[in-house]
Amino acid sequence: MATKTRTLTPEEAARVDLGRFDAEKIDRPTITFWQGAWYRLRKNPIAIIAMVLLALLIVMMIIGPTLSGEEYIKINAKIKNTDPNSQYWFGTDSMGRDLFCRVWIGTRLSLIVALVCSFIQIVVGCAYGGIMAYCGGIVDNVMMRIVEVINSFPSLLITLLVMMVVGKNVAGLLVAMCITSWCGTARQMRGQLMQLRESEYVQAAQMIGAKPARIIIKHLLPNTISILILNLCASIPSYVFTEASLSFLGMGLSGDVISLGVLISEGRARMSFNAYQLFFPALILCLAVLAFNMLGDALRDALDPRTHQ
Amino acid sequence: MKKTILYFLKRFLVMLFTLYIIATATFFLLAATPGDALTARVEKLPDIVVERLYEKYGLNKPVMERYATTMLGILKGDFGESIIYQGQTVPNIIKEKGPVSARLGIQQMLLGVSVGLLLGVLAAVKKGSIVDWLVVALSILLISVPNLVFALMLQQIFAGTLAWFPVIGWPKENIWFGGWEYTVLPTLAGCFGYIASYARLLKASMLDVMNQDYILTAESKGLSRFEVVRYHVLRNSFIPIVTNLPMTVAMCITGSFFIESVFSIPGLGLYYVNAVAAQDVTIVMGETVIISAIYIAVVFITDILYTIVDPRIRISGGKK
Repeated sequence: MATKTRTLTPEEAARVDLGRFDAEKIDRPTITFWQGAWYRLRKNPIAIIAMVLLALLIVMMIIGPTLSGEEYIKINAKIKNTDPNSQYWFGTDSMGRDLFCRVWIGTRLSLIVALVCSFIQIVVGCAYGGIMAYCGGIVDNVMMRIVEVINSFPSLLITLLVMMVVGKNVAGLLVAMCITSWCGTARQMRGQLMQLRESEYVQAAQMIGAKPARIIIKHLLPNTISILILNLCASIPSYVFTEASLSFLGMGLSGDVISLGVLISEGRARMSFNAYQLFFPALILCLAVLAFNMLGDALRDALDPRTHQ
Repeated sequence: MKKTILYFLKRFLVMLFTLYIIATATFFLLAATPGDALTARVEKLPDIVVERLYEKYGLNKPVMERYATTMLGILKGDFGESIIYQGQTVPNIIKEKGPVSARLGIQQMLLGVSVGLLLGVLAAVKKGSIVDWLVVALSILLISVPNLVFALMLQQIFAGTLAWFPVIGWPKENIWFGGWEYTVLPTLAGCFGYIASYARLLKASMLDVMNQDYILTAESKGLSRFEVVRYHVLRNSFIPIVTNLPMTVAMCITGSFFIESVFSIPGLGLYYVNAVAAQDVTIVMGETVIISAIYIAVVFITDILYTIVDPRIRISGGKK
């Protein structure tokens, strides 16, 4: 086997100037998790519809009551139960109060109650779940049993009972609706955190000497926050709904407090004569719940990169 | 096997303990409520009568003593007499109202779950088509409209304007099968939620299964699309459905509170709400304990079912 030997010329043997190619360069802009999620969310028409709807509702919630130029508590017996017209856009209720104002005032309270409840649920759930995952062992065991016991209460019964004890006011409603709901969040947090703690990249980070604060901020938080966002999107509509139903049963808010539930139950009394009094509050309630549900659905897709591979 | 039995025994004990906690919590919640069931009734009565009334229901005794009597009573299955409606006892009420709520719940579930599953299969098989899109849109819509609003809407349209069905009420005789026209609207109002959630659940589960390798194998063996879905996809995607179903059964006991209230159906839910509003301590106590017991028992059965349906979840020191 004859092989031709050939010596390299000095030019060929010279080192290639690597700097020219910049081999380490990443030619695409770096996209963080959140930029990616936002991009996917923007491309989803359902998300856009939901966000526009939510923005509209929030704007109306803030400026709505002043738009019609009427007052929501002004009683006027002469104009009671007027159908919707150019002056009273949603008509008036059985005491002659402008329904348009009242609906937006009611939306305000309903959404605020839902937001505060969700906030409490997530804060308590995170703290409880975090402690369970962090401590482990016997503490975890005992705390988990407590969650299991609370979880097996029929929550509606407990809510009704608590409502009765604390009274039919906003604070009471908050307590009654949150009293069992945080358990789900706590469980999820615990599961997620324990899984993360065992995962290779967290162990690797520990191995190369990352401080706990860095691990929490860089690894644990970003990986739990999408769960929390989804949790928020699922719990807000359910609180809006629970509040409305409780008020409707006469077990929620009452008196001079206005929420969507109170308006719906007021409207129900005049359902056969002035259907619009039921229609408008119910419509806004459904729109709000729909918007949150659609946004939640879209977020689930956007935040879960696995569905986009 | 021994491990399994031990596990269920442990779960059973936890169940009893939970029930005890619920009874205790209910008792003290009721005791902490300002006023009592007799407050309104005795307002204008002379003191001596008031004293006797309180004596009769034992409401004059200290809290801990009442707690002991109540708990002992529950152990013996004796919840006491209603304070508001004389002569009414908890077993009577359950016997009378239970079937009403049960029929409503069963009808809602049968209709809702079957339609939901059908839609779920359709959406998964025709993924990406207009059918899929319609089912998804419908389920979001159905989930977003609270069944309270549905109930009111149906009542207004079909009972009010069109007058096809009675506005309120429930069949009085032949409680299980008679008077179907009363049950149409409440059943419809309650089943939409089930339709939406089961359609979504089955669709997600089926899509998950369709990505598995054994489906590819089945397809490459030359099975028709129908056979693949019927014998491979459906069976395997039913696990979340089977585990969810008992929870639905448990939820439908308390889930119909609002519908019972809209249609004035004399079921457990409506009675419970009225009892809570009137602070009828004995009835509230009894109903809470019994409804919770059913609920917890159903959850317990779910756990057993879980291990039977899915052999992968054989208990290894408890499920997560």
